[in-house]
Formats: sequence, C-alpha cells, structure tokens
Amino acid sequence: MLLNKFIKLYLFIFSFIFSQSIYNAYGLGLSRTSFHSSVNGAGSVGLIPSFHPGVSMDNTATWPGLNFTYISGSYTNQAHAIKSSNINNQASRFNKFQFVIPIRERYALGLTVKPLNNNNSFFTTDTIAFNFEGADILTSKEFRSGGGIMEASFGLAFPLNSRMGLGITINHLFGSSRNEQSVILNNIYYRMFNLRTYTGSTFDFDFAGLLFKDSSLSISTYARVGLTNKPVSGNLYNFNFYEDSNNSYSFDSDDYPGDLAVDTTSILNIYSPNSFSFGVNLAFKNSLNVFSEFQMLNDESTNDNYASIFNDKIGSKYHFGGGLIRFGNLNARAWQDQITFRLGAYRDNYSLINSRKSLIENGISIGFGFKFAASGNQIDISYRNGSRLITDGQKELFKEITIGVSLGDMWFLRRRAKQ
Amino acid sequence: MYNNFKSFFIINLIAILFFSACDEAAIPIDSSNTPLSIDTISFPVVNTISYQVPPDVGSHEFLYFGKKNEFDFLYNLIRFSSIDSTNQQTFTDYNDSLIVADSMKLIMTFVLDSIDQNTDFQLRYFPDGGDSVFNELSTNYTNFNYSNASSVISSSAMTIDSIDSITTQVRLSFLMDTTIINVFSDTSFTSFNASFLVELKNKNASEFKFFSSNNLSNPPKLRIFYRGFLSDSVVLDTSFHTYYSSQDVSIIDKPYLGSEDTYNLSVGLAKGLRSLVLVDMEGWQLPEHSIVSSADLVYNRINNDTLIGYSVSSYPINNQADFSKFNIYDTDPYNIESNYLSSAPIIDNILKIDYRKILTDYGRGSKINYGFKIQSSQNSDPFKTVQFHNLNSNVTYPVLRVIYVTK
Repeated sequence: MLLNKFIKLYLFIFSFIFSQSIYNAYGLGLSRTSFHSSVNGAGSVGLIPSFHPGVSMDNTATWPGLNFTYISGSYTNQAHAIKSSNINNQASRFNKFQFVIPIRERYALGLTVKPLNNNNSFFTTDTIAFNFEGADILTSKEFRSGGGIMEASFGLAFPLNSRMGLGITINHLFGSSRNEQSVILNNIYYRMFNLRTYTGSTFDFDFAGLLFKDSSLSISTYARVGLTNKPVSGNLYNFNFYEDSNNSYSFDSDDYPGDLAVDTTSILNIYSPNSFSFGVNLAFKNSLNVFSEFQMLNDESTNDNYASIFNDKIGSKYHFGGGLIRFGNLNARAWQDQITFRLGAYRDNYSLINSRKSLIENGISIGFGFKFAASGNQIDISYRNGSRLITDGQKELFKEITIGVSLGDMWFLRRRAKQ
Repeated sequence: MYNNFKSFFIINLIAILFFSACDEAAIPIDSSNTPLSIDTISFPVVNTISYQVPPDVGSHEFLYFGKKNEFDFLYNLIRFSSIDSTNQQTFTDYNDSLIVADSMKLIMTFVLDSIDQNTDFQLRYFPDGGDSVFNELSTNYTNFNYSNASSVISSSAMTIDSIDSITTQVRLSFLMDTTIINVFSDTSFTSFNASFLVELKNKNASEFKFFSSNNLSNPPKLRIFYRGFLSDSVVLDTSFHTYYSSQDVSIIDKPYLGSEDTYNLSVGLAKGLRSLVLVDMEGWQLPEHSIVSSADLVYNRINNDTLIGYSVSSYPINNQADFSKFNIYDTDPYNIESNYLSSAPIIDNILKIDYRKILTDYGRGSKINYGFKIQSSQNSDPFKTVQFHNLNSNVTYPVLRVIYVTK
C-alpha cells in the first residue's frame, strides 16, 4: 500500500517536471557539476559537507567521517525549456551509483559510477522552400544525439594528521555517443550517423582540513585538484549518407544506396580536463553551515574532431557558488529537526573554444535529507532551477529534481567493547 | 523492520528507473549554424545524336505476319524447348522402342478469338541447322540466311478450336509427319535446334498477330502424339507431349526512316532507333560524404499526342561515341554499363530519367563519362517511335539537374 503511494507520487512528480539541452550539442556536451542528490540540493560542486556533518559524498577526503558503509544511488529528472519557442523537454536517468566503506574513522574507500556528460539533444530547423529549374523543393534538417562519457572511479581516503585528510580517486572514462544528422528533402530523409567511442582516465586529489574549531564555530576548507592521466581518445565511426526511402529510421534493403560505407577514424586527445576547486565551510553550533565554493576547469584537449552538431566545444568553466546547510539530527525530538535542509545558489561560466562565446548558467537549489533507521539510511531530495544563456543565443530554462537513496550498514567500524 | 525498509527503497529506486517520463520535442534552431547542406547544379547537354541498329523485337509479347503500318514482317522464327512441359520427355526419348511418335503439330495462338480474314501459312524447319539457328535477341534481317530453311514441310490456315465447353481459341496448327520427328530425335546432335520458320504464303497479306513465348498463357507449342507400349505388341496408352517455345522472333524487313527520325533524338524498337546524349560534367567532383538525391535528365517529346505505358531505358556507355552524324549499324557499337540501368515512363510528354547512381560514380571519379544511351524499354510498344527535342531546340533542349546533400 505504502509502496503504491510512492510509485504514484514519483509518476506524478516526473510527469510535471520538465532533458535535452541545446548546449549538449557543443562538442561532448555539458558536463555535470554535481552528482549526488545531497550535493545537488546545496548547488555545490561536491567539496563541502552536504550529506552528513563533515561528509560530502562527492569528496573522497571526507568519507572517513561516515558512520556507516553506504550504498547510494541518485536518480535525476531534468527538464529544459526554450523560452523563445515554448519548447519543453524532459528526460530521466541515474546520476550516480556509489559504494563507500569507511574504515575505522580514519580511512575509506569507495567505488562510483556516474555519467560525466550528456549529449542528449534533438533539433529541427525551419522548412525552406526554393525552386530549382522548375521543381519546387522543400527542405529542413533534423539533428539528434545521445550518449556520453561514463566515469567509473575508485577512491581511497586517508588522514594526513588529526585535522586533515586526503583522498585520491582514479577515474576510468569510457562510453559512447551517437548522433544522427538528417536533411529532409520533399519529405524524404537523408540520414547520416556518427558513432563515437571514448576511453581515458583522470585522477582527483581531494583535500579536507579543519582550520579552526571552538564550541560555537568550526572553519574547514576543502580543495580538489583534477588531473588527466590519459586524455580521452576513441574511434569516430562516420557512416555515409543514405536515403531512408521507407522512413524506417534505420538502413535497410529498401534504402539508397545499396550499401552503407563507414569511415573509421581514431581520434586522440578529445577531452583532457584539468581542474582546481576550493571551498570553505563555516559550521555553527546549531548545525547550521555556511559555505562558498570556487571551481575552474580547463579542457586541454587538442582535437575537436567530434562530428558534433555544432562545430564548437566547451573549453573551460568557472563556478562560483554558496549556500547554507542545516544538518538534521536523527535523535531530535521534533521531526523538523531530523531533516537536513540545503539551500544554494551558483553561477557557471563556460567558454566555447571556436566561437569564443560564453555560456552563463545561473541556478538556485534547495534540498532535503531524511534519515531513518539506526544504520543512518538517508533519502535526499533536491530541486534545482536555473537558466542558461549563450552570447547571441537562445535562453534555456532548466529544472531538475534528484532523488537519492543511501542505505547504511556497519562494515569495518570501531565497535564498542562489551562491558 | 530494517529489512523491510531496505526492500522498500530498492523497489522504489527500480520504480523510478522504469517509470519516469521522457518527453522529446525538437528544439527549433537556426539552420545557418548547422552542418549539412543541399546543393544543386545543372549540367549542359553538349552532344546529342540518334543512330539505327536492326529491329529489336525479340522480347516482344507477339509474333507478327504481314504488314503493320510501315513495317513489313518477313517471317517468324520459333525454337522449342528440348524437354517437354513435364520436364521428363526429350526428343531423343522417342528412339526407345516402347514409345513411338506418330505425328507432330506446331500450334500458334491468335490474339483474337474470331477470324475476320484468313490466309495460308507455311512451315519450314532447319534439318541442317545443327544446335542453333537463331537468337531472338540478335537475329534480324541483316544476319539471317533464309535459304538455310528447308522446303515447306506443312501448310495451314487458322481454325477456331474449342479449348473447353466455353472457351474457343483461334489457332494456327501445322501437322508434321514422322520424317521431321526422326530428324529431331537424331542423336548425332546433343541438342538439336528444334527451330521452325513460319511465314505467309501470300507475302502481301495484312497484319496477323499471334502470342509469342513471352506470353506465358499461350506461347507457341509443339505437340508430339505418340503410342506407349508395354511390350513389343501391347499398347499401353496413346497421348501427346507438349514442348513450349523457348525463343521466337518476328523478322522485320529494313524499316523506313523519315527525316524526323534522324534529325531528332529518336527511340523505337522496331525501327531500331536509339540515341546518345553527352553531358558536360568536366571537372565536377561530388564532395566527400555526399549523397545524390536526384540527377534528372529531362527530355521533352516533340509530338503532343497521348502516350500511355511507354517507357524508356537508359545506360551509361563505356566507349567514345560518334556524335558527328546519324549512323546505321548492323550491331550496336556502344557497350553499356548494365548495372546502371535507369528507366522511366514518359508522362505528359516529358521523360525524366534519374542518373544518380552513375552520377555518384562520375562525381567520385570512379567512372568516365562517355555519355548516355537511351532506347525504348522492352515492354514499350515496339512499333511506336518517339522523338525528343535535341540540342537544336531553343527552349526544350535536354538538361541534367542534380540535387545532392552534403556534409
């Protein structure tokens, strides 16, 4: 009965939220800033604690602060609306799967799988009519793309001293994306497919340090240095055009020409992100935390042979954000004191390499966390709302709701000795 | 309690994965900043010429006798399959002592079911023809020696035969005796020609039209009536085996050509008229990763009368053509790229042939452009000659219009 109510609630929520972004068609598409639902709720880049006091699920260095081993999943539903054309789109996907084991409050290790970027887009152009030697011709174009780079990570956290911790994460990047580019000529589709595969690896070095602590305030700083170990490379499978005579969306025996040739190109160094992030968190005695974060990311890749829809790609990104978090206490008497509350605002500034245009993303976010059961299980719900605007481009509004479920259990924790 | 919660959230997570919505509406964008484009190009036709080869009616559905309009039919050649309709009985099987062929009949079916005027036909065969006497696709008045035929072996006129209680057919039946069968069953030849020459006794008779081997319902047939023996003296049964025509052709005398045939772009099977067109595509390259949507060469017909069911075939040729003057050839000197056949019907007196397949190869440099041959399709009326405007026309000269999509 309770289960039915929850399913109905999810369906209701997702049917009213509006995921394809117009900006996913630039190069590899937009890369996400945050992944775990608790991080999303704070509008954070994942440095400062947002899951639990002293712990961010996106910051490896903070994992030893977890009281339990967690298996955690976040699922998101995004909606994008183009303001000028009254177009709304939405899509859902998982945001992160994570398995984190704290060991004796000093160490931690974890495995994470998450989608790093998003190529999902679907565009159409206006129909153009012209006359060629007496024949009337109507033409338009359609572009679709999907897929992206996945990241599988192994993270290890260990202490530097009693106030500082370090986390090292090895990330393996893999996956594929595809796009279909079509010209429609008098209602006949001429389609061309591109398929791209990706493989590469990066490192992240996370830092967490407690700078000051007294009975009413503690100040902690967090930092991350992201380095590319092996730039993303892969293969570009560039299929020739075919006339989809029967409009079946796939090449078959009715289509022209009779065979479909494919050019396979090995592409090197197509994504090579290096980043630096820094955050400060002020924790007050009433469990209220105020934070601020800064991140700069630069893609040092040299090859832009993506066959992406727009001949451009995101070269760098700057993030500024801040907010407040009040952590709930499972043992509080009032139910509202058991809830973790998160609020944040941020601004992302992306730069496109070829056109030198800037893409500005402004967003606000709100999130709640509910703990239950003795093992620290937690449900996190977050909502983000914002806009993206490119120089001389369309304004895009986005909304995003993310739900995360984290289930805790006791592994490798200090147990109190029996009296 | 703890396990219940765990199960509850796992189930809910799965529910989200499966039940959440996805709505994909295309986002309108400005075409100017996107890849892919459509390009058009017109190529001028720089040379046109017609030429004549012998009549080409071997694939036609009918066999003709007499005179039809400006065409004079000399005779018809018919070859029969060496094995009967049951795929069991060959001519040499009649050498067996237990099967005795008594007579043979060649039957042709008239296209009408009544006889307005009748006349006498006569039959010859080719006892000295060996394996082969003619080929329906290449034999014509220039290369067939009438004197190779025997003297007349049978004569006949059309009769009305009852097929069943309702249906009657007008047939021409030639009865032959065992002399001919013995020649057919001679084992000296592995595959005797089994060919006949059928002609009018009176050469000036008007047109008579019979079904040919290309008509599956009533092709010419050869029936051998036989007796089957159980032993040397006991007759088992009396019946016939039927052999169908495998090839046949009406031999037309040299057709008359008018100035309109030689001056314009002309096509016609019975007159053997074909045309050549050379399009100037010098230097043109199809961009990489492009597809030709259409490459229509448009021909405008000179006459305005209604033409139904007439189609024209075209092939690229693979050798240099003579565009200097109208030529007459005994055999067509222009070899074709048969894989690039393109045909189209004439609609509203306009013929639009799509050459996109060969044009793609021209554009990629994998084929050399020597020009295109156009000729009437085999299913078109062979006796209809169609003329198109050539380069001498001020407005309606042929032109090749290409539309292609490129990256």
